[in-house]
Amino acid sequence: MGARVRGARLVAVQEVRIRLRTGRWKALLAVWALLVNGLGLLFRLSLESGDHGDDDPQGVPMFGGVLLAVLALCLLITPALTGQSVNGDRERGTLAALQLTRLTPADIALGKLAAAWGTGLLVLALTLPCVLLPVLEGVITPGRAAATLAVTGLLIGVVCALSQAWSALVARSITSVLLSYLTVLALFGGTLLLFALAQPLTVEPRYYSSSSGTRYAYERERPELVWWLLAPNPVVVLADAAPRLPPHIETDGDVSTSSEPDNDPLGDLGRSVREMRAGNGNYHEGGPVWPYGLAFDLLLAGGAFWVTTRRLRTPVRRTAKGVRLA
Amino acid sequence: MDRPSSSAEHGVEARGVTRAFGTVPALRGMDITVPYGQVTALVGPNGAGKTTLLLILATLLAPDAGHIRVAGHDLRADPEAARVHLGWMPDVFGVYDQLTVDEYLAFFADAYRLPAAERPRRIRALLALVHLEEYLGQPVHVLSRGQKQRLGVARSLIHKPRVLLLDEPASGLDPRSRVELRDLLRSLAAEGVAVLVSSHVLGELEEMADRVVLVDHGRTVGEHRMGDLAGAARPRWRVRALDPGGLAAALDGRPEVGEVSELPGGCELGPLTEAQAAGLLADLVARKVPVVEFGPATGALESVYLAMTENRR
Repeated sequence: MGARVRGARLVAVQEVRIRLRTGRWKALLAVWALLVNGLGLLFRLSLESGDHGDDDPQGVPMFGGVLLAVLALCLLITPALTGQSVNGDRERGTLAALQLTRLTPADIALGKLAAAWGTGLLVLALTLPCVLLPVLEGVITPGRAAATLAVTGLLIGVVCALSQAWSALVARSITSVLLSYLTVLALFGGTLLLFALAQPLTVEPRYYSSSSGTRYAYERERPELVWWLLAPNPVVVLADAAPRLPPHIETDGDVSTSSEPDNDPLGDLGRSVREMRAGNGNYHEGGPVWPYGLAFDLLLAGGAFWVTTRRLRTPVRRTAKGVRLA
Repeated sequence: MDRPSSSAEHGVEARGVTRAFGTVPALRGMDITVPYGQVTALVGPNGAGKTTLLLILATLLAPDAGHIRVAGHDLRADPEAARVHLGWMPDVFGVYDQLTVDEYLAFFADAYRLPAAERPRRIRALLALVHLEEYLGQPVHVLSRGQKQRLGVARSLIHKPRVLLLDEPASGLDPRSRVELRDLLRSLAAEGVAVLVSSHVLGELEEMADRVVLVDHGRTVGEHRMGDLAGAARPRWRVRALDPGGLAAALDGRPEVGEVSELPGGCELGPLTEAQAAGLLADLVARKVPVVEFGPATGALESVYLAMTENRR
């Protein structure tokens, strides 16, 4: 086990060192930090100006909106970080020498994944100022911030592992980067599309009789049968995993009514997927959706890592056309 | 240098190695032996399967069939054990341009799990061996193509391999570097390393190799000691005399000397074996032809190679 950690660390340090010395990383990261935090603040300002006397703190929609945007942007950047980690080295002719050392395929795969994931987490960390502003204001609890950031970090890792597998499977790095983007697109849009297509298939006829004895027929969709299609969606996982805000209590004289907090994008999304899980006609929420989604995504990542490791094994038995071994 | 634990006396022993890519056979049954302490040359035309064979010996590519032992380890059963004793330099390879020369070697030293205490000394020794010591601390991208090639040699030696495989190591090297590479490989062989080199530059192999394995169409067509080749070869011979007219007259009407072609101050003739050539020279001297030069027009290896590639046409 010690040797595995040492081997993976050696590869990871090497990858990071090479990444840092290639291109203008500092400038790129600075631009990224300025852009995201600037847009975040602008978003906040526009929320404030649209605020008409509502006493809801604007930190809540800011947190949700910024975090969802950060998730989407990070997952869009990640394929570029990892999409050529294996076949790029093959094309440059540096992989084979590495495979002949005492580093195992798992060492190489793990080290490269750690380097890519670490870079992704650094990209995420640079967005912290505007993500954490609502926490500093006391509107969002540190627990909610920590949970959502942890889920975002894990999802970045999932996309890293998937992109890495593509780079190990496909000979040309341009193809693997494209496939990685399509994978991210499938997670975001594909799940949504599948759900939208599958839901009409669940329609079943229902009848009810009026007091005069006339039977009426109507149709009802049953989303509780297909809610799981939405579960792997990173937006759904993140939103549903966010701990709920305390309910909004309004007191009018002696009567106090409790309602869900307004303007909480994460909570709204989470509630709507849980309602789907519960099904039509149920007016209570269903159970949480995110554990299924996150588990599915992590399994996918685990499978991708296994594929990467397998493809790094030597001696190679089957060679694809155009793949250079050395 | 530790000795092989098994009774293996050769660095590489391969028998009946075959490999096809899809339906195209690359190796149709190659045999090769690379003894310790000798430089073995792998010679053959383009597409003969040299690089494929080297990839298989380097444990990167699995053969379809055949028995291969490298440093005493069966490649099918335990490629990892063979790798520890195996140094490999491909014909084309990348270096990490972003690293310095010593960082590059240090990375591979770590990857081969060399003790950290031994590392700086080993790196300095290797850089001295390939004449790159003044580039210590310099980024790899400032090196020329030939210097990168030499850095590749240093990399392949970092773990003191007992078997060294080099695919076209001399390509891109200037004449000085080629001579240095030759001396380096000779000194490694003198230390007991089994060296296998593939190359197209036959004259150069002749100077550095002890043995030659000729391959063509994915098959081994001959394994020779370099010393035996000279006797077996029938090269053409170059003759120069102070009196070219007298030389031409002495050769006229003698079909046994082969096809005679005019050269400035003499002619080229043959093919003749060494014995035939010696007889001809004695005859010319007896006829008082003032011969000032009499030697093979091509190296022994080159004439064998040309004869081999001629046969297939």
